[in-house]
Amino acid sequence: MSMIQVDGLKKSFGSEDALRGITFNVERGEIFGLLGPSGSGKTTTIKIMTGEFKPSGGDVHVNSYSYKQFSKNDYVSSLGILSDKSSLYDRLTVKDNLELFRKLYNAPKGSVEKVLRDVGLESEIDKTVSKLSKGMKQRILLCKAVIHRPAILFLDEPTSALDPTTTEKIHDMLEELRNDGTTILLTTHNMDEATRLCDNVAFLYQGVIQDSGAPVDLRHKYKRDEVHITYTDGTVKTVERTAKNKQLLDNVLFNSEVADVRTDFPTLGEVFKKVTGKELV
Amino acid sequence: MNMTRMMAIFEKDLKEFMKNMMLFTSVLIPVLMAVFFSRVGVGAGAEGEMPPEILGILAGVVFSAVIFSSVMTMIAEENEKDTLRGLLQSPATIIDIILGKSMVVTLMTIISLVASIMIIGPENYWTLENIISLVLTGLFFLNMGIGLGLVVKSVATTSVYIIPIMFIFGFTPYIEMLITDPDSIAIKIAEYFPIYQHMFVLEGNGGAMEFIILAAWVAVSFLLVLWAFNKRKNDE
Repeated sequence: MSMIQVDGLKKSFGSEDALRGITFNVERGEIFGLLGPSGSGKTTTIKIMTGEFKPSGGDVHVNSYSYKQFSKNDYVSSLGILSDKSSLYDRLTVKDNLELFRKLYNAPKGSVEKVLRDVGLESEIDKTVSKLSKGMKQRILLCKAVIHRPAILFLDEPTSALDPTTTEKIHDMLEELRNDGTTILLTTHNMDEATRLCDNVAFLYQGVIQDSGAPVDLRHKYKRDEVHITYTDGTVKTVERTAKNKQLLDNVLFNSEVADVRTDFPTLGEVFKKVTGKELV
Repeated sequence: MNMTRMMAIFEKDLKEFMKNMMLFTSVLIPVLMAVFFSRVGVGAGAEGEMPPEILGILAGVVFSAVIFSSVMTMIAEENEKDTLRGLLQSPATIIDIILGKSMVVTLMTIISLVASIMIIGPENYWTLENIISLVLTGLFFLNMGIGLGLVVKSVATTSVYIIPIMFIFGFTPYIEMLITDPDSIAIKIAEYFPIYQHMFVLEGNGGAMEFIILAAWVAVSFLLVLWAFNKRKNDE
């Protein structure tokens, strides 16, 4: 059985349909990305899985629990949650903040020190949170989400507005968690993040999954067999990659007038635009 | 309800309380008032005994400034900074969270009240009847703070509630300074307010009726808490 099974999930707010029957599965130890612009239904999907919202239709199973059991303590204890709205107690130290959640989740003593070592922030343990940088706070929030070693981690825009160095550190930590068997569902606008981290992604737009699959498979699916040749004088020539043009393309490599050769293998962002007609912003 | 989680929240909130100047100074206000009253001998009778009105106002200040405004501010701050969501996403229930916070403000209220009363040093203050009336009055203010705290979304908004509640329920006996006619309907209504019941008990004039009225105020304030819980649930 998949770790997350979503079947025809619907959610309406009054007359507005936020989700119109989405279906996807996430396997144990997989990083799954829900990609879509703001208002596409990503956060609503996560909020249903964390028990904050009740679905209007369809079915959801997470870690063998039906959505009707999402308020159960065992279920809540198996989750880790980090959203762009997650925050810490600014007046308290890093240790005070993490100790609170260690006790709430009944995690073993020493978990605080261990998780801080994992993110390289053990030297900040006695610092007041208000004195930390934004990137450090985000890493502490991730520590808070994983202090009890959850089976499933929900991440809603985990690296939005963070600098590349912090983003890199968070990505490394997420890869380690996946290697340890944690199932991760993340939402993001960042296509590089999705391409690097996700085993599978789903394009969510206007409450509907427009397409899904492994990032590399989606890029292959939507690629065009074209080669763009840029010459030193600035002219660009697009040639179809067919047997008929083999001689021309072979010669390109030896042509000193050629400045750049690029195949039409789209990025995930370009695939999203092809599928939905919208930029992923 | 889980004792370990409740104690974890109590510990966290106690540390936050001590580091929050706004909350911490609220504990000192009644103590400073007690020092002021005892030094200038405000309203002291012939034998130097402090009249029940002053003791009633002091209790009103403790309850409105410490228990009511502190618990409301603590919940409002959690709402504003979205830390309440983090707690609610954990195995802690809203009951664990509210009880943890209530324990902190109750502890601070007891410290503030005992210190203030010790400074004034009235005789026969800690009678069983008076302690029961203090507990019921404190419960009323605690419920009001929890109920309104669940409704307000930011610390700035709390002042909209703190000032009127403080004047209406905390400083009720001051109405006698504004309205001198003892037969005024406003005075008659005010005499049904919680602090007056506490004062009647303190004067030794309290009977079952005062406790029934206090219990009714606690029941009404508890309904406010239930309404706020439901409102919050529906809003989400």
